[in-house]
Amino acid sequence: MQFAQICDRVDVDSATVLPIDLSAFPGTWVNANPDTTGIARLVMSASAGNLSLQTFAIGPNGLIDWGKTDAAIFTAGPSSRLGAGFTCGYDFGFAETRLQGMIMKGLLVLAQFHNFNDESGRADHFVREYFALNHGRY
Amino acid sequence: MAQTLEFKQSSHLNPALMDPQTRTLRADKLLGKWVNTNRETRGISECVISQDGEHFSVSALGVGLAGPVEWPKTAAKMLANLEEEGGQRAVALRAVFDFEFMSVETQIRVNRGVLVVVLYVSFLDHSGRSNYVSREFFHRQD
Repeated sequence: MQFAQICDRVDVDSATVLPIDLSAFPGTWVNANPDTTGIARLVMSASAGNLSLQTFAIGPNGLIDWGKTDAAIFTAGPSSRLGAGFTCGYDFGFAETRLQGMIMKGLLVLAQFHNFNDESGRADHFVREYFALNHGRY
Repeated sequence: MAQTLEFKQSSHLNPALMDPQTRTLRADKLLGKWVNTNRETRGISECVISQDGEHFSVSALGVGLAGPVEWPKTAAKMLANLEEEGGQRAVALRAVFDFEFMSVETQIRVNRGVLVVVLYVSFLDHSGRSNYVSREFFHRQD
């Protein structure tokens, strides 16, 4: 088994790999910052071991629906089967946005990489925002 | 004539994005040799961020069984980071380390003097290991 850091040197029986637990993801995640000018909320759903999300961002005239996209799933460690993060991307033509999400103690930390492909002169930029799940418990 | 800008969120229209200085905001804060704050780490022990003109690159050492494991020196994409905590304005990097058996997508930024690296590790070798996310902290070593 190859590894580039010893934390990846784990005993795993590849013949009996269990499905990844995606229970931490599904639901509506709302930006903790009510004054955001970025992403307002994410609606995440899991089906048949796959994760997808729909992004709604703040626009000058209301929310802008970015549509649904599939997300790559990441767990908490090389021998973990507990979903803890995801990555996905949106290609808008004039720009591409890559999202990296990590869930820590119920908080979704979402990193966004915005790359402009037009000639507008705008700087490619990074944003990090926090989201909480509408879990309805309290 | 006013330029009509396409956008997908209001922050795409932030005037600061048009400021040329935004691209190089405090890039020096990232440069240098960084050592993991956790001396017991089993991940990356140190990394070096360097700049050549407009180009950034990242190299790293992983903790190995019999000594450090050299990660491939990788070009990094620099992005303006306008909203770091405490009103800090800096730059952030995205770099992807490609190994034959693994790909590691990283997010690299500085927060109050601490280098924060988030790693999204994907195994390509059908070893049964889970793709996973982790986060490590580094302090600058002069």
